Amino acid sequence: MSKIVILGAGISGHVAAAHLRRKLSKEHEVLVVSPNSNYQWIPSNIWVGIGRMKSDQILFPLAPLYKKKNISFKQALVTTFHPEGDAETKSAYVKIKYVTGEEKGKIENITYDYLINATGPKLAFDMTEGLNPGTNKAYSVCTYSHAEHAWHALDDLIQQMKQGKKAKILIGTGHAKSTCQGAAFEYILNVEQELRRHNVRDQAEVIWIANEFQLGDFGMDGVLLSYGDNIMKSSEMVEMVFEDRGIKWILGAGVNKIEDGIAHYETLDGEYKSETYDFAMLIPAFSGHGFKAFDKNNEDITEKLFKGFMLVDADYTAKPYEEWSVQDWPETYQNPSYKNIFAPGIAFAPPHAISKPRVSKNGTSISPAPPRTGMPSGITAKLVADNIIDTINGKKGLHHKGSLGNMGAACIASAGYGMTKGSGVSITTYPIVPDYNKYPDTQGRKLGKTFGEIGLAGHWLKLALHYAFIYKAKMKPFWWLIPE
Amino acid sequence: MTQRISKSKRFYMMNPIIQFFKFIWLSIKIMLVVAGGHGGTRKANN
Ligand SMILES: Cc1cc2nc3c(=O)[nH]c(=O)nc-3n(C[C@H](O)[C@H](O)[C@H](O)COP(=O)(O)OP(=O)(O)OC[C@H]3O[C@@H](n4cnc5c(N)ncnc54)[C@H](O)[C@@H]3O)c2cc1C
Repeated sequence: MSKIVILGAGISGHVAAAHLRRKLSKEHEVLVVSPNSNYQWIPSNIWVGIGRMKSDQILFPLAPLYKKKNISFKQALVTTFHPEGDAETKSAYVKIKYVTGEEKGKIENITYDYLINATGPKLAFDMTEGLNPGTNKAYSVCTYSHAEHAWHALDDLIQQMKQGKKAKILIGTGHAKSTCQGAAFEYILNVEQELRRHNVRDQAEVIWIANEFQLGDFGMDGVLLSYGDNIMKSSEMVEMVFEDRGIKWILGAGVNKIEDGIAHYETLDGEYKSETYDFAMLIPAFSGHGFKAFDKNNEDITEKLFKGFMLVDADYTAKPYEEWSVQDWPETYQNPSYKNIFAPGIAFAPPHAISKPRVSKNGTSISPAPPRTGMPSGITAKLVADNIIDTINGKKGLHHKGSLGNMGAACIASAGYGMTKGSGVSITTYPIVPDYNKYPDTQGRKLGKTFGEIGLAGHWLKLALHYAFIYKAKMKPFWWLIPE
Repeated sequence: MTQRISKSKRFYMMNPIIQFFKFIWLSIKIMLVVAGGHGGTRKANN
């Protein structure tokens, strides 16, 4: 009998738990530890943030589902890692702290045979002075409660605009090293469309602010894609959409301080500037959770497990951009020091960025951190689960591999909500991490498999995916037929 | 606002009948990219 402990019940933790439970016999225990009682389909937070969906449409409680499916669940936070056990607890364990109910505050040691760290990112608002969702007129859509809060503020502003107020709306990244530009891109297009729907578009100045060097970088160094019969850069596509929608942009901006209605930022030219606003949605930096790890003698071994995020089978040797290679990226998400620990999704430490790193004249690093979207999070979680199952069944070696350099991703960016008025920018990328050796003439990507489309069908597709993935997450009949 | 998308292109983008077929085409194309598999990169750059 094996015990598999999964930390986190986001996309990757939940996918791993579901597959493990489906494929492993009942004698093996699957235990999920996560602080949130709900599963949330994060991509639809965009629509909560414009008031077109309620948060209860994008979430469901985990405990009843896990009970029904025979997955153990503890609503708690992991605090420390003890991969060798210690004098008291002989086998490997993690320390957890309950966050709710009668047990709130209680600490418990949870032993494991296999550990999947799927704790995603820490939303590091504290890395930008004054950036705290709901204060200084700046909001976030990173969680459903943040998104609800953002909608209340935006709705309030729209009502004021209906009375004649002129407003400035600023959307983008809230830190020089933020990632997840795609989510901010979706939000700005959705907000712009809602302003038109409410007939207040003329009263608003809508501005994109980002740490990207070029529009459409998305933390992936941009993509060269087929668009109809043309071959286009993602920067050209986004520029076309922004100009058409009357959205202005500020690029190469490292936001470093937020005051009431003012965003201060540094540019790549080394200038310090600021932009005023009436409503802002700024994506924070994503960081590791700051976990600590200890060996059996209680010596600190954090550097064996973490480099911000968790260390896995990547090549972490520091090298210049020109020497980055697709082979640097991990394939199995296994920790090199402790072979029974894995970190899929956002929880693993990337070897380096994907976008070319850029530094301002003052030495501040201003460029996107690498994104890890929902699809690769799900795929990496499933392959980790499959490797654990194989190992339990006595198979030698890890046979399931999935490097971001040999994996495609579909990004269906919502550009506005509505069954007849909605729109989506659908972009697929293959591979996610460019392979310049394999595809030297097309900026590291395979054309045909890297394409873009704009239109109503994109909205329908995004909505269809919303329902399909919630169905899948609820583990309804034949859920496993829906790919990650 | 600068009109960067022509009227005919906009019609194409927002026409529900055309877009219905686009929806099917997109779903298949995305499935092919997604279900096209994944793997490692280190052995023979496979
Ligand atoms: C607004 C927004 C829109 C997005 N839109 C898209 C999109 O359209 N398409 C797409 O592909 N991707 C999208 N993404 C990205 C996608 O949401 C992420 O890639 C995905 O959620 C990553 O999954 P994960 O499981 O690694 O991390 P998360 O989903 O962040 O899950 C982490 C889990 O760990 C738990 N946790 C945290 N700390 C602890 C702890 N100490 N102990 C135990 N558990 C802990 C959390 O509660 C959570 O359950 C979007 C992201 C955002 C913010």
